[in-house]
Amino acid sequence: MDKGKRFDTIRARIKENFVLSQDKIYADKNRLDISVSKQRTPAILFFCKEQLGFIHLMHVGIVDWIEDGTLELVFMLWSPTEKLRVYIRTRLNRENPVMENMDMIWPQLNTYEREFKEMYGIDFKGLIAAEEFLLEDWDGPPPMLRDFDTEAYAQEVFHTRPGREDAQDVREAIIKRSQEEIPDFAKKYSRQ
Amino acid sequence: MQNDSRSQKIVDIIQAYARRHSLWILAYGTGCGAIEIPSTMTSRYDAERLGVRGAATPRQADVLLITGYLTVKTLKRVIRVYEQMQSPKYVIGFGSCAINGGMYWDSYNTIKMLDQYIPVDVYISGCMPRPEAVLSGFGKLQDLIKAGVADGPKRYEENFDWYRANQKKIIKNWNFADYNW
Amino acid sequence: MEILQYIFGGIITFLLAFVVGMTFGGTRRKIIARIQNRYGPPIYQNFIDAFKLFSKTSAVHHGAMHYMGPAFLMVSSVVSLMFIPILRDGGWFPNLNFHGDLIFLLYMMVFGSLGMALGAGQTGNPNSAIGVTRGLAQMVGYEIPWIMALVAMMIQFHTTSITGLMDVQLQSGTWNLFASPFAFVAAILASLGMFRYAPFNIVGAPAELASGPASENGGKYLFTMMSSHSVFAFVKLTLFADLFLGGAGNLVELLIKTFLLYMIPVLYGVVNPRYRTEQAVRWFWGWPTVFGIIAIAYAVWST
Repeated sequence: MDKGKRFDTIRARIKENFVLSQDKIYADKNRLDISVSKQRTPAILFFCKEQLGFIHLMHVGIVDWIEDGTLELVFMLWSPTEKLRVYIRTRLNRENPVMENMDMIWPQLNTYEREFKEMYGIDFKGLIAAEEFLLEDWDGPPPMLRDFDTEAYAQEVFHTRPGREDAQDVREAIIKRSQEEIPDFAKKYSRQ
Repeated sequence: MQNDSRSQKIVDIIQAYARRHSLWILAYGTGCGAIEIPSTMTSRYDAERLGVRGAATPRQADVLLITGYLTVKTLKRVIRVYEQMQSPKYVIGFGSCAINGGMYWDSYNTIKMLDQYIPVDVYISGCMPRPEAVLSGFGKLQDLIKAGVADGPKRYEENFDWYRANQKKIIKNWNFADYNW
Repeated sequence: MEILQYIFGGIITFLLAFVVGMTFGGTRRKIIARIQNRYGPPIYQNFIDAFKLFSKTSAVHHGAMHYMGPAFLMVSSVVSLMFIPILRDGGWFPNLNFHGDLIFLLYMMVFGSLGMALGAGQTGNPNSAIGVTRGLAQMVGYEIPWIMALVAMMIQFHTTSITGLMDVQLQSGTWNLFASPFAFVAAILASLGMFRYAPFNIVGAPAELASGPASENGGKYLFTMMSSHSVFAFVKLTLFADLFLGGAGNLVELLIKTFLLYMIPVLYGVVNPRYRTEQAVRWFWGWPTVFGIIAIAYAVWST
């Protein structure tokens, strides 16, 4: 069956079931991208799982759009019968990221939500999870956010071994020995 | 026997011989370096001919082999394992991650100097060290035992407050269980 | 004077068993290494390991029973050793045998494992508990063909004493290996489980159980366990040589016979992976038990 036609019917079915005034639908050769608001996400996920046959949650991605002040969650669904992908995107406010708990749709969402809670500080309302999942003994800000300076934190907390006095750049040492020129694209990595 | 210096010397020589020719390793293989241990032990490089043999539990082991990076979370377990081992015990830091953090030098949860937290006898450099380098590290450890300078437990005991302070600086929730009952 | 001779002879017997058992263990490691295309450790590697373990500190405290577990193992090995005739004519080696010592030995050989089970239970290590339950299950497996073989011998030769069985072989001029072959086969198959080498090393499986009952024992505890295992291996091999190969007239003959017997579990082990517990029990209740039943029938028929 033609993928484009199938995408058209999926798009039509979503449009006739949901009011998508500000939401965008985008389709390319292999996948259908639907950007929806935060409130409508659980309903669309339910609809895709129960009505359209996208029964498998492949992955949940997260993007920190620090310039827009938002965190974008991407739910990647897969239909094993039709071999089609649907991405459902939703944006949360970066200052106060709150979302409903959705692990009743797919139980494996619970693991993703626990990780997002620790690494990005997203508050999933009604999530039943242990206090510590991946990060033990952590009392700093969520470490995966882009405004967390991990290098400065590492310099501050962990001991750093001082480097050698006679440390050499490997590339420059080889170039010097073989009497060649450093190519242009490599010059920006050079120490000198 | 203990007070007789000459007979004690003979016992020391035999003990040092036995210790350096019977190194039972406990491979703490959380990092990628654990993949080099099977090739070191199996037929091509055969570390067992040097007396190097795998031990199953910390109680039986002599050498703690830290293969690769340690996070704050795994350092907690390593300290626990190290304190459960019976002295004389030795620690080998394995790979550049254990030496200076390696490619995780700017990570928020990877420690960079292992010898700040437990006394390390030998470092094997490389990313990853090949089995030849690992065998060379064991040879270096044997030399250190022969010279009598591989005294990790003694250093740990003498500088215990310094080591504990360093450990507690990054492990904030210090709830260690009792090892003996 | 007699008591002094007993004590002195006992010490000599123990030292002989220790040295021979350790050397056999080292030979086994070398053979395994050669079969795996490795150079392997030297044959005396086990002595180095034992001395190193003895010179380690043993700061492990889990209560009284934990201390006594390895001691029970050692006591069982030494007492079993004292009841085994090392040579046919005794010599320096004391022999505390009496009528019915074969039955006593059956109990004594299990005693050490049970004591170790109690000791391992008190360490609180879950691996130890699993190892103990596996060991007891395996013991239920191999004890049945082993006891069947011994009962067949007892029926056939009307004696329950080891020296009695040795005398029978001396008088008739044939080894029991030929006089009661089915009992020999059943006993040898049971011995594969007694030695706990692969494929029956389910008790101390290092990859699954972290060495099982020994997992909390380091240093001198492990030294005691290791040396008592070596002594016990010698005990079992000498018992097999006495029962089926007519005993030994001198030490060289004893070493050759025990070494050949030792090669059966070793060579069977190096080419086999590890069984699961229920597979091991099913294995012992299969052909070994069938041979045991045939042995009893043969014994009843031939008397």
